[in-house]
Amino acid sequence: MNPYLLIVLLTSLGLGTALTLSSTHWLLAWLGLEVGTLAILPLMAQRHHPRATEAATKYFIVQATAAATLLFAAFNNAWLQGHSDIQHMSHPLFTSMITLALLLKLGLAPMHTWMPQVIQGVSLNTGLIVSTWQKIAPFILLLQIKQIHPPLLTIIGLASILIGGWGGLNQTQLRKILAYSSIAHLGWILLILQHSTALATYALLIYIFMTSATFITLKKCKATTINMLTTTWTKAPTITLVAPLMLLSLGGLPPLSGFAPKWFILQELTQLNFIPHASIAAMAALLSLSYYLRLSYSITLSLSPNNLPECLQWRVNYPISTPLSSALPAALALTLFLLPLTPSALTLII
Amino acid sequence: MPSLHIILTTSFIITLVILISPVFTSILYKSLNPNWHTHHSKNAVKMAFFTSLLPLFLHLHTGTELTITNLHSMNIMTFDINTSFKLDHLSITFVPIALYVTWAILVFASWYMKSDPKFNQFFKFLLIFLIAMVTLVTANNMFQLFIGWEGVGIMSFLLIGWWWARADRNTAALQAVLYNRVGDVGLIFALGWMATNLNSWEMQLMFITAKSLDMNAPLIGLILAATGKSAQFGLHPWLPSAMEGPTPVSALLHSSTMVVAGIFLLVRLSPLMQDNPFALTTCLILGALTTLFTTICALTQNDIKKIIAFSTSSQLGLMMVTIGLNQPYLAFLHICTHAFFKAMLFLSSGVIIHALNNEQDIRKMGGLHYLIPTTTSWLTIGSLALMGTPFLAGFFSKDAIIVALNNSYLNAWALALTLLATSLTAAYSLRMIFFVNMNFPRFPALSPINENIKSITNPLKRLAWGTILAGLLMTCAVLPPKPPMLSMPPYIKLTALVITILGLTIALELALFTNKQRPYMPKQYFYFSTMLGYYPTIMHRFFPYTFLKLSQTIATMTIDQTWLEKTGPKTITSLNLSLATTTSNIQKGMIKTFLSLFFTTLMIIILLNYY
Repeated sequence: MNPYLLIVLLTSLGLGTALTLSSTHWLLAWLGLEVGTLAILPLMAQRHHPRATEAATKYFIVQATAAATLLFAAFNNAWLQGHSDIQHMSHPLFTSMITLALLLKLGLAPMHTWMPQVIQGVSLNTGLIVSTWQKIAPFILLLQIKQIHPPLLTIIGLASILIGGWGGLNQTQLRKILAYSSIAHLGWILLILQHSTALATYALLIYIFMTSATFITLKKCKATTINMLTTTWTKAPTITLVAPLMLLSLGGLPPLSGFAPKWFILQELTQLNFIPHASIAAMAALLSLSYYLRLSYSITLSLSPNNLPECLQWRVNYPISTPLSSALPAALALTLFLLPLTPSALTLII
Repeated sequence: MPSLHIILTTSFIITLVILISPVFTSILYKSLNPNWHTHHSKNAVKMAFFTSLLPLFLHLHTGTELTITNLHSMNIMTFDINTSFKLDHLSITFVPIALYVTWAILVFASWYMKSDPKFNQFFKFLLIFLIAMVTLVTANNMFQLFIGWEGVGIMSFLLIGWWWARADRNTAALQAVLYNRVGDVGLIFALGWMATNLNSWEMQLMFITAKSLDMNAPLIGLILAATGKSAQFGLHPWLPSAMEGPTPVSALLHSSTMVVAGIFLLVRLSPLMQDNPFALTTCLILGALTTLFTTICALTQNDIKKIIAFSTSSQLGLMMVTIGLNQPYLAFLHICTHAFFKAMLFLSSGVIIHALNNEQDIRKMGGLHYLIPTTTSWLTIGSLALMGTPFLAGFFSKDAIIVALNNSYLNAWALALTLLATSLTAAYSLRMIFFVNMNFPRFPALSPINENIKSITNPLKRLAWGTILAGLLMTCAVLPPKPPMLSMPPYIKLTALVITILGLTIALELALFTNKQRPYMPKQYFYFSTMLGYYPTIMHRFFPYTFLKLSQTIATMTIDQTWLEKTGPKTITSLNLSLATTTSNIQKGMIKTFLSLFFTTLMIIILLNYY
């Protein structure tokens, strides 16, 4: 892609999120969201093949619907309330509408169906951006809204965790798996959103690190299906070594950093006496873990049937490092080793 | 006599040491002479016998009984377990008899097992068995008795399966162990009950503290133990099967010493039983049933060793009846006299089997009276003693038992069964003698018949002396603890003799039929007896099948397959599979899906808002 275009688009992406983050008025928030949506569309469709175009179209329609609902509900609320402050919304109906719109933007159940198709259609890098960067803005807005119906977020959160688990079980395409995994993680974040914003932020942060590490790893291996993962050991043995740990961190196993958000979320839920929610969430995490294990099984723990010449790559990829691959060590380190630093990390956010 | 107890103690300890030493020296010392161990064992037993005569004579002369308590093995708070030996009349009398019989059997075995490659080990096994038996007999507390009990059980297993290459032998050995184990359950239950309720395992303490308690439970346990060890009805099939072992083993274990261990236990603990009519009645009925049943089974056996085995079984039943009559001393007397003639019977049959080139079927023997006269004389003497011929060894004990039986006010049916069994004893003994000794030979002409070997004649001679004299000596030397029945009408006194003669005559009549051509009798009358009352056929299949089926249903099908597999993992698998497929099938690539879901959720939320 034309570098100038790329710079403009990426800057707009950042601008959009920054606008949303720094706004107190609904109009500015909506503006930031729209800028972000528009900025990413060319990035998604840059390859011009039908699937990418389709993905871009679907993404646009979905985000547009969400934004329209958002704007509608925000103005109604402003009309009824007299001001359009984000943090002081009081009308129950429109608060719920805004919440739903934001959840659609995030891609949570039951409005998740666009996520797998969109992320599948675009390239891995763009998928990374959609999965990580685009979640920040709606999330911040969600944080600031006072929830009239607390059960709404809880139910949707639990449903997302469950659907993220079950959906990913039947997939072989890696991008779809990662889409479902992001649905599941966002479900966890949603569970704790109303009770502890610090934990939600922390969970989102760790999720961003883990997902980035995964996407970059997959980009390096040039793998988009599970079958293509099996030859990773010939291309990049070091990644083969580390990939299971990364996936298990996504699954939330100690002593990796993915364990920390789940742990604290469960602890918080238990302290607030939400035992059934905590139990269901913990059980449903097992479903996601099973497909992470399947991935790690095909990367590291088994050798696929191969003949001898294939075991050694004669065509080496130049340049070996892609633009994003310099971020891989950082992302991996944060994915794997952050658990002991959790107390200090939490103080940073609280 | 001063320091009497020291002499008694010392001689007993020396006896034990003499018995134990060959076992240890065989480990430590290997000799070039391959027969060294055999000689050593034989001489050890002989020396031990003579040494054990000293306590016997001292006891007979002065009536001394003593208890030796040695080591304090362990204690649990107030519960002590020691090693203590009780040398009272029972053990002081039994130990020399056991040693005498074992001496004879060992000498015989040195000829019988001569061609066996491992006969040193055979002697060692017999010696270890003897030590276990002596431990059992001289035990003053139940723990030591249990050690001896288990010891004789294990040695019986090892010795029955001596020629382990044959599958039947191994089955027989296993059968012995299993049936004994069932009896051991009773013994362990009794041990536990006594430990918790009587707070002691020492005999003297138990007898005192048991006076006021209801002793039904432990006594049933002890009777069960005796049933297992002494092959009473219900746990009896192991004894005929144990005849798979070599003849010296049958002679020592399954006639004289091991099988009487159960009866000996009841005799030892008879002060516990004498006031409990329930236990006494159980013994009586069990004994009567055993003796009649096994006698009927013995009538149609064709293997000479099986006939003698069944006769052992029926004599054990008789001993049990005696205990049920509350006459433990008579039972003990019968134990001692029975040891002599039964061992002699077994050894004679061993000679016959070897002489006829391992032929054990009496239908293929005959006319041996002319060929091996001494051996058949021993057989005849033994059988006569078994039948209770006046003034042989068996008479003094058996006649006293029958007299006590007839004069008692107990269960008449049990008495009738016992009398019937006594007459049938004569019948099968005569059948055996008729088929073995009399008529014409029915075996091939080139059999290695030879009885001119010192190793055979000397021990059998010694046992024959014992058979003839032992009853007399024992009855004259000691006053019985319970006053014997002395005054009764003559027809009561002569009952035993009369029915024995009746049985003999009828059996003789029947035996003489074999010389004449008679109409063919249908064989179905014999099936019950030949198949041993169908007891092994039914029991050995029914119980294992039931338990295995039950275990399959409970453990495998219910617990493993259903609860641990189907309700857990498989259900979760199928559930999750359907849910995963449903969830991923929503993705059809249609924009309609996302927007409609969004719309529906929105509507639901709006509606819920207004309620």
